[in-house]
Amino acid sequence: MPILKEGELDIISHSAEQTQRLGQRLGRLLRAGDLVCMTGDMGAGKTVFASGIGQGFGSTTPVTSPTFNLAHQHSRPQDKLLLYHLDCYRLRDAADAISVGLDDILDGTHVAVLEWAERIRAALPPERLWIQFRVREEMRRNLILEASGERHRQLLELFRESAFGF
Amino acid sequence: MRILGIESSCDETAAAVVVDGQHIASNVIASQIHIHAEHGGVFPELASRAHVEAIDHVVQEALRQAQVEVEALDAIAVTRGPGLIGSLMVGLNYAKGLALMTGKPLIGVNHLEGHVYSLWLVQPFRPVTFPIVVLIVSGGHTELLLMREHGQYERLGGTLDDAAGEAFDKVGRLLELPFPGGPHIEQAAQLGNPRAFAFPRAKRDDGFDFSFSGIKTAVMRQVSVSPSAAARLARDNQQPAKLRSDVSVRDVAASFQAAVVDTLVEKTVRAAKQFQATEIAVVGGVSANQLLRQRLRAESELPVRYPPLNLCTDNAAMIAAAAYQRFRAGQRDSLALEALAQWPLA
Repeated sequence: MPILKEGELDIISHSAEQTQRLGQRLGRLLRAGDLVCMTGDMGAGKTVFASGIGQGFGSTTPVTSPTFNLAHQHSRPQDKLLLYHLDCYRLRDAADAISVGLDDILDGTHVAVLEWAERIRAALPPERLWIQFRVREEMRRNLILEASGERHRQLLELFRESAFGF
Repeated sequence: MRILGIESSCDETAAAVVVDGQHIASNVIASQIHIHAEHGGVFPELASRAHVEAIDHVVQEALRQAQVEVEALDAIAVTRGPGLIGSLMVGLNYAKGLALMTGKPLIGVNHLEGHVYSLWLVQPFRPVTFPIVVLIVSGGHTELLLMREHGQYERLGGTLDDAAGEAFDKVGRLLELPFPGGPHIEQAAQLGNPRAFAFPRAKRDDGFDFSFSGIKTAVMRQVSVSPSAAARLARDNQQPAKLRSDVSVRDVAASFQAAVVDTLVEKTVRAAKQFQATEIAVVGGVSANQLLRQRLRAESELPVRYPPLNLCTDNAAMIAAAAYQRFRAGQRDSLALEALAQWPLA
């Protein structure tokens, strides 16, 4: 787990199950206003990680692929916090993103998890947790997490402690 | 009783007039496939715009073909969800306008229930004895339901990640086949060997949930250029091909299709047995797949029901057919009805 620099974390996951468990750890830490942006090829583990986030968050509904409907909304019993899960693959630019209600989703009162976030980079606020998924050989995946802004750096620190104990 | 149905939840703008929930007087579909095929998928903003351009003409054409004036309708039915919110709103707003103008009752229909009622449009119609097990398989949905009565569903399982049709689309993309993936994979598979690759199947001891993400990733591992080889190619400024040149697209398509169909068939047949269903029904875009139909018939002793090919994919006749049962049960919706992007049947 090399620490590249402050606000960055580089992880190797050896299986889909491990990727999901990492997602669970992040999901437990999420608060209103948090934005998790995922990028990486098909099959790199984005939806698996998001499904873990949903479990950690405590979603009452399973987090499945949002590819068809573009945006899924999930809730949990303990509070009114909503988790939005978007697939941006079919959004061509920032204008498309606004047409699916991105402004409302990112108004600071919800949690947002985005797949193919690079497609709408221009529409995203600068403060976020950016996770790049890379396919290594066979089952292995490389996750590079990069936080920007005070809250998301804190989130990444908490995630590091939760996943690695230091 | 004549009901006008309007459907615009995804990439088809459709309108239909159905008599007594069973007889299609007209069924008009303005397909957007040619628009979206260029982009390899349905793009929401393009879809909404295409719906806006098509809807008035499509509805008028449905009324004209059915030779019915809007005043002679008994109700106006429209897909309320689930689907793309911008697309849904085009049909819903149009339907509200018609309802306001004519004073006819408005009935909001669940798109998934619409697929179920595509079965009631089969001619000649064999009466249904409940309960039946219904498999809804499409680009956006994979749901296994026990239908106990009209409008009464119990959810037995569904996909935990990708929908079955979505897996077809994504594997189609990996194999560099045109959009939509389903029919193109089915076509390529006809000449392929379904045993060439052993893609993962669901385990027998699983419940009734599905997972297709693993199959997709297994296909990717078989057919894609390895990351290191891709990097080498890029360094040498060579064609950044993603598909390995020594892979038989036909064999991969056939093996992938066999794995998906095996999983769908095993769970559906087992559910029908466990819940003592009288019949098995399969609906939605993927229900057009011939291998799925053959295997369901072969693996189950129960009758297997599916819609005609033109009613497997999205259409408005099924929306009108579902609305007929809802109308009889007393449903009337207000003009304040809102579209729902997510709307589970059970």
